[in-house]
Amino acid sequence: MIGNDIVDMEQAEQDSNWKRPGYLDKLFTSEEQFLISSAIQPDIMVWLLWTMKESAYKIESKTNKLQEFAPVKLICNNLIIHENTATGNVTYGNQVYFTKSTLLAEYIHTIAALTNEELNTVSIAITSPKSENYKTNNPSSISHHGKYLALVYK
Amino acid sequence: MTNEELIAKLKPIVASYAQDKAALEKIDKDTDFIKDLKINSANLVDVVLDVEEEFDIVIDNTSMEKMLSVGAAMDIIEAKLQEK
Repeated sequence: MIGNDIVDMEQAEQDSNWKRPGYLDKLFTSEEQFLISSAIQPDIMVWLLWTMKESAYKIESKTNKLQEFAPVKLICNNLIIHENTATGNVTYGNQVYFTKSTLLAEYIHTIAALTNEELNTVSIAITSPKSENYKTNNPSSISHHGKYLALVYK
Repeated sequence: MTNEELIAKLKPIVASYAQDKAALEKIDKDTDFIKDLKINSANLVDVVLDVEEEFDIVIDNTSMEKMLSVGAAMDIIEAKLQEK
């Protein structure tokens, strides 16, 4: 199973003030907050970690029919950033998810899966929410934010 | 605080983040923040922080986990107000 999440950086800047007191404490562990405060571009780190958590949560919620808002229970680790891509893990209890991210000035996109192999076999299309017949190709995972629609195909 | 008073205080808070303004007009305790009001998940934190400020309460992570609907928010606010 695949999960994915996209953040439109322009939209995020309009909609979310992550510098608001208390905000980061409710979303991120102290280790994750350290990654944010020590990042050269903290904005990018905030939304990278957020898309990692969201993409893993999408699998977790589908598998376990789970509905909760517990971002701090989704823990990002083993994060390696390499120019415009990143890889990492998200754990939720005993479950480990593998993530792969694309970091661009316009958007940050992360896919999550239960194995690394699965991550490497999917294809990704980043398009506009205006492309109306996207559902006909049967994407495995859909994410929409701002001007972007992210589709993942197995 | 009556249920009506609670909803009246919650409505302007969620209105700032709700993308479905029509659903906002029909708000009641069954209204789901994400499915009905189309609040972005990153903005759920803002709802929680605004509720903390408005009611002068602290919402711990365990309570926040369940805060996905107007009814759940009302239960949490009432419980936290009782603790004060």
